[in-house]
Amino acid sequence: MEENKMQAGFRWEKCLSYGIVGAVLLLLPLFVKNPSFIDLVILANIYAVYAASWDLLSGYSGQINFGHSLFIGGGAYTAGFLNFYLQVPPVITIFLGGLVAALLGLIIGIPCLRIRGPYLALATFAASAVPLGLASVYWEYTGGDDGLYGIAPLTLNITGKYYLSLFLLFVCGGILLAIGRSKKGLILKSIREDELGAMASGINTTRFKLITFIVSGFFAGIAGAFYTHNQLHVGTETLSLHLSILVVIMSVVGGMGTITGPIAGAFLLTIFNEMLRGIEEVRLLIYTLSVVFILLFMPKGVLPTLTQGLPRLFR
Amino acid sequence: MNIFWEILVYGAVQSSVYALLATGFSLIFGVAGVVNLSHTALYMIGAYLIYTLFSMLQFPLTLAVFFSVVIVAAIALFIQHFIIRPLIDSHYSVMIITTSLALFFQQVIITFYGPADRNVKGFYEEKVALFGVVDIDGQRLLTLGVAAVVIILLWFFINKTKFGKAILAVSQNREAALFMGIEVKRIYLLVMGISAALAAIAGAFIVPTLGARPHMWETVLPRVFAVVVLGGLGSMEGTLLAALIIGYIEVLVSFSISSYFGEIIALIIILLILSFRPSGLMGKRAEV
Amino acid sequence: MEQIMEVQGLTKNFGGLSALRNVSFTLEKGETLGIIGPNGAGKTTLFNLLTGFLKPTQGTINFRGENIAGWKPYAIVNKGIARTFQIVRPFLQLTAQENVIISCLCARAMEKRRGADRPEAKARKLLKNVGLSGKEFILAKDLPHGDTKRLEMARALAAEPELLLLDEPFAGLGHHETSALFPLIEQLSREGHSIIIIEHKLRELMKLVGRVITLHFGEKIADGTPDELSRNQKVIEAYLGKGGRTFATV
Repeated sequence: MEENKMQAGFRWEKCLSYGIVGAVLLLLPLFVKNPSFIDLVILANIYAVYAASWDLLSGYSGQINFGHSLFIGGGAYTAGFLNFYLQVPPVITIFLGGLVAALLGLIIGIPCLRIRGPYLALATFAASAVPLGLASVYWEYTGGDDGLYGIAPLTLNITGKYYLSLFLLFVCGGILLAIGRSKKGLILKSIREDELGAMASGINTTRFKLITFIVSGFFAGIAGAFYTHNQLHVGTETLSLHLSILVVIMSVVGGMGTITGPIAGAFLLTIFNEMLRGIEEVRLLIYTLSVVFILLFMPKGVLPTLTQGLPRLFR
Repeated sequence: MNIFWEILVYGAVQSSVYALLATGFSLIFGVAGVVNLSHTALYMIGAYLIYTLFSMLQFPLTLAVFFSVVIVAAIALFIQHFIIRPLIDSHYSVMIITTSLALFFQQVIITFYGPADRNVKGFYEEKVALFGVVDIDGQRLLTLGVAAVVIILLWFFINKTKFGKAILAVSQNREAALFMGIEVKRIYLLVMGISAALAAIAGAFIVPTLGARPHMWETVLPRVFAVVVLGGLGSMEGTLLAALIIGYIEVLVSFSISSYFGEIIALIIILLILSFRPSGLMGKRAEV
Repeated sequence: MEQIMEVQGLTKNFGGLSALRNVSFTLEKGETLGIIGPNGAGKTTLFNLLTGFLKPTQGTINFRGENIAGWKPYAIVNKGIARTFQIVRPFLQLTAQENVIISCLCARAMEKRRGADRPEAKARKLLKNVGLSGKEFILAKDLPHGDTKRLEMARALAAEPELLLLDEPFAGLGHHETSALFPLIEQLSREGHSIIIIEHKLRELMKLVGRVITLHFGEKIADGTPDELSRNQKVIEAYLGKGGRTFATV
């Protein structure tokens, strides 16, 4: 019963901390006027959705995806093409970007059903590298490495952009968190722990795994498409291995299987990256080295280590 | 007709580089059960070490290669002991941290050498008249020769020596090997060292042809994966066969269509194999 | 009595090896059937076939009018058969309650929900029934072995099965824990569940079952009451070699 009380108290503390963070984010533009800082937080919001969508698939259902950029880039390029070639307005492109990425999720999810572990990592990585190669091959349409410029913005006002990105984070992150917290999320965790055991409990694991691919892809695609309209540009960095790895790192550093952990990890690493901007020469050096250290010494991720460690201090 | 010979040799060279890299990668997975994604970074470090020792510091070639191999092997052992071992329980943690490590190495290289390509003079500048029919540059032939020798030596080592048999034993059944008194930890280190040496050699000999670039670990990674997946993780014969297949397919596609397509072909092969026959031609079972 | 299952000519070959050969038997509603046999006789293979973890090479499994041979495991669970595993496999990083909730979420359990019982409440009730009250929030990996066996059972029961398959429920339990677990299974039997039990601990098994099937090298060599079995020469030889003594004490 003591566990029960701890759980309840914990939940209250969690809600309070979410509330505080949410309030800070909402009120930020009132206090901070520096546009590049606002831009940074916009980026962090977008990356947070990348990471959160990754977490549902990899943290919850245990299908570790090393090619998340397939979905991000899929959404980004869909929005880019639709807007650049067909002048489709931004909101619609974003939604369609999500749909295309969801479809990609289904396409890649099916062959991935039967493979696990390193093979799954290889397959997802390979899947994301194919469109990257295609972008180079068909450079006349895609703009090659440079990409396409002149994509329409969602809004010209930077404060507007900020609140839209916040809206993206709250809605997408919120939905993903709700799924994770729900019974469906619990089922995903059981599939991660022991897929055969879940099957023996009457769960149609195939259906769950596929749907998770689709949902993960959808939200990543939406965020990727949003990114396109934020940068007014779509390029191969949205399909890169670097991006896939970055998303993985953000989520692992933040704490997989929690949705909130990856969101925190995205913020942490985006801001950390920015903080190092002063020492440009060794910036990425310190960045990557720090990541290695965090992975070695806080394997559960920063957020779980802190949230489990702190209550212990107060006992 | 010249094209035919060129394709024959270029394909063989490509295959031999992939064979060296993939064999090492496959050994590590087959024996230690670990997917070490910093493996191709070792190849890159080997290339840059040759550039530093041979081109910049004017070391004699053999010495440069020797030091390159030793340093890379030392780095690999460090990685195995301090970075991989603590996380050995979770294969994806190992994948994540070794990828981060590869990025770190890339950054180190960019910091010290800058982002541009570095060129290394060929070890053997002359063109050799092959079979009296066509001229192929000596560097490529040298690479091929060295790779072939190394692979043959490796094959003998694995199949005919005591250590090699111990490696095979551990890769087949770790616990049984432990019971037989084989020091499994030492075998892991040995395997890491050998794989690293293979990667360093590959890097060292291909660098005059390709140049040393900070992204070289990334570009070669999909191809190595394709070879390893096609051949089957943990099988040396499978890896060699797959290296030949992939190396030649790539050269053929590059010659006929475009070099970008070569990379895509490798990726599509990976996807097809993983979808339909994850254990590849001759590898360990991949489905749980 | 109502027959709920009929297995006909069930065979499973792995390459050249015949793990199960032409096994046939029936099960009545409410019956508790035992399956015994030396290691490697094919007992767990039989369970795997009955629960969809293996596809038979030949033969049919008729359960409630349908041939479920070759069905996917989740489909079989939702038809009404649940199992426990010889080596327990709880979801280690989930709490005891969460472990049970998973089974409560399968299609069959959701259909058969009594009243408006939320999965949490049902899970808590089941945990209480198997004697795990107060341990709801303990992670499965932190539970002692005997408790994980009870958890297995709670999970199986949560799926609202018509037929329970228990694979060596007493395996790995000491004398004290075995005695503690026994009444739980006995109660399930008394409540009218149809049960098939694989067990090596013959003394406990014989007190629970009305009928026993003996498997040896993949074949059924005997099918009868514990009493009949204790006098069956083939069974005695299979277990104890020629010249063995009787073992059944009912």
